[in-house]
Amino acid sequence: MSLRPLSRTRDLVAQLRRQLGEDDPMPPRAPLPPVELPPQRVFPSPSRRSRLADLAAAHTTALVGIGSVGTRYATDVVLQFQAELAVAHGAVATELPEEWAVAQGYVSLGSRVTSHREFLLRPDLGRRLAPESAERWAATCRKEVDVQPILADGLSAVATQGAGPALMSAFIAECEKRGFSTGTPVCARHARVWLEDEIGELARAKVAVILLGERPGLGTGDGLSAYLVYGPKVGNTDGQRNMMSNIHNRGTPPVDAARRLAVMAQLMLEQKTSGVHLDLSPRAAELGEAARGGYRAPQVRTRLVEG
Amino acid sequence: MKLQATIRGVTYTFSSVREVLAKANPPKSGDDLAGLSAREPVERVAARATLAQLTLADLRANPVVPYELDELTRLVEDNLDEGAYAAVKHLTVGQFREWLLEPKTTGAVLRSVAPGLTPEMAAAACKLMSNLDLMVVGAKCEVVVRCNNTLGLAGTLSSRLQPNHPTDDVEGILYSAREGLSYGCGDAVIGINPATDTPESTAEILRAIHTLRTRNGIPTQQCVLSHVTVQMKALDLDCPMDLMFQSFSGTEAGNRAFGINVSLMDEAYDKMRRLKNSAGPNFMYFETGQGNALSSDAHHGADQVTLEARCYGFARRFKPFLVNTVVGFIGPEYLEDGPQITRAGLEDHFMGKLMGLPMGCDACFTYHAKMSQDELESLKVLLGAAGCTYLMSMPVGDDIMLNYQSTSFHDVPTVRSLVRKAPAPEFDAWLASVGISSGHTPGPRLGDVSVLR
Repeated sequence: MSLRPLSRTRDLVAQLRRQLGEDDPMPPRAPLPPVELPPQRVFPSPSRRSRLADLAAAHTTALVGIGSVGTRYATDVVLQFQAELAVAHGAVATELPEEWAVAQGYVSLGSRVTSHREFLLRPDLGRRLAPESAERWAATCRKEVDVQPILADGLSAVATQGAGPALMSAFIAECEKRGFSTGTPVCARHARVWLEDEIGELARAKVAVILLGERPGLGTGDGLSAYLVYGPKVGNTDGQRNMMSNIHNRGTPPVDAARRLAVMAQLMLEQKTSGVHLDLSPRAAELGEAARGGYRAPQVRTRLVEG
Repeated sequence: MKLQATIRGVTYTFSSVREVLAKANPPKSGDDLAGLSAREPVERVAARATLAQLTLADLRANPVVPYELDELTRLVEDNLDEGAYAAVKHLTVGQFREWLLEPKTTGAVLRSVAPGLTPEMAAAACKLMSNLDLMVVGAKCEVVVRCNNTLGLAGTLSSRLQPNHPTDDVEGILYSAREGLSYGCGDAVIGINPATDTPESTAEILRAIHTLRTRNGIPTQQCVLSHVTVQMKALDLDCPMDLMFQSFSGTEAGNRAFGINVSLMDEAYDKMRRLKNSAGPNFMYFETGQGNALSSDAHHGADQVTLEARCYGFARRFKPFLVNTVVGFIGPEYLEDGPQITRAGLEDHFMGKLMGLPMGCDACFTYHAKMSQDELESLKVLLGAAGCTYLMSMPVGDDIMLNYQSTSFHDVPTVRSLVRKAPAPEFDAWLASVGISSGHTPGPRLGDVSVLR
């Protein structure tokens, strides 16, 4: 009795197999059509880009007018994208060599961070000096200064080693030109923005300025940001700071940035405050676009894969 | 209420429901940073076993931030649908997980229960679920919303077009917007994060997108994601605002850091209701993301998954058209790598949908997080399969203002064809009329901006 439904199922399966074709489940192979070269894709290389990409490039660095293959990118676009991604990741992964700061003539300090991974995961440790660094800095630095300049790695040691020294010396020169006393030039490793508070506080500086590598964007690992604070002391918050980003040759060149930063420091010394309470309008002309606050200079997108 | 579990003869005892919830989380760098994670993997499972025995009533009685200290806790407690709550309050979290997975618990059933759930309940279920569990339940939820078009219908996957520009150059924004539309993106919203947070620039960008939209008859909505107080001022400038935006945190203190509170949002909602440009009952847009409370030291010792769910408890008050978690934007100190970002995206989608919100996800990473482009592409497909309401979209996934990597214009039609989902029906009809695509199938004019006037 129990065999009947089973044999019925077996019959059904056999019948199904016959209907689907006993042997080969696939139909005969179709004759191969001629394989033609794909059409030239459009991508912003000056020699062969679409008119749209040309027009757009006057207004935006966004990659538009790049065409598609089905719904995906052309090979050229994939390679350009991967190159830009690799540049960004490379900048993040690069560490500032321990001996670099001293070789540049800076006092070398370190935060409480002990490894690169810890630097990425523990911003709290990157905001405080290692005890040994704090002691050494307190014992040796110039005190009671108007402006304490600080160079640091931040999220791109590539940027720090690139435009860092030029920005640092241009900024110090701009400060001295205005008659401000400046602190001992210092460079901090594994540093977050707020580290400027402890370094500036130990030097009893009126204004602290930290210049550090900013979080890389696609294809751009060489941007520096600057954060300024009046009355640096541990526990200050972001609302008390002023900042300028995108400092590199395709954005705000270091020389221009140095001048504007010195003007901001001057305003802080005059008004004895910084951050949301600082009024930039008295020197808006000297600050240029930076007076608008959130300004980021436009940049040119360069093609990384040449051929 | 028992706060302990025994594994292989070792008894793990916890001091509070908040501690159980935190230690039950899968590993997250943000919970490590806050010092809240389980110390080792077995303790994590013990916390889950403890959580599985708690009832939903226990969770309601033990919010992670006390009623007296936090207006979001009060908002949830005072407005909970008692009828819906009564239907499930007796379930343990373990039973609740199984009830959610039961085939007979349909989207319609989940919708009825949603107003009776507190954020802590959604978060607790989440902690007992694997990624596939989260997807199965997320895909069942039905959350349909209407503004100028209709989002969240079964078989649809929408996208926000995000044509940001580092200096708000309107022509530059329009180049990206047209390109995105030509790939079938933008049915959720054409939404711009402004570089300059002023009422005037907000109004100027809204007018430009509105003109593009009306000239071409595109059924979607425009939004500029400036601070809500700036948008309120922009409304006085008589500009076409379809959606009003704000970022949310999961505690009163976190929202204070964002410059908002419940009464300000009530006021904003009311003003928008009177002065908005859009049709339909849903006109608010909120963004969230695990870790934002800790970043302003406003987490009250609670874990980032539970705090994320509390954002949704706040958001549902305003019947939003869009909510999305900007999952990988906050950085590796909160979500370290690909597996953590992937997990968080699926968690947030599940919790938001369970609480009745139209959840989208900005599947993304910053360039200092440890996530590969391949992992990011995989997450978009997972979200598509999990019924995510919408993804983002921008040229090559590269936000040239905010400097992070998200969904690209090309990814949206790709995921749609892979998971066989169509854009919002009104938008789909427009795309078909100009030949860009039809349903989940790319059309002959895909990527051709000359279809736009």
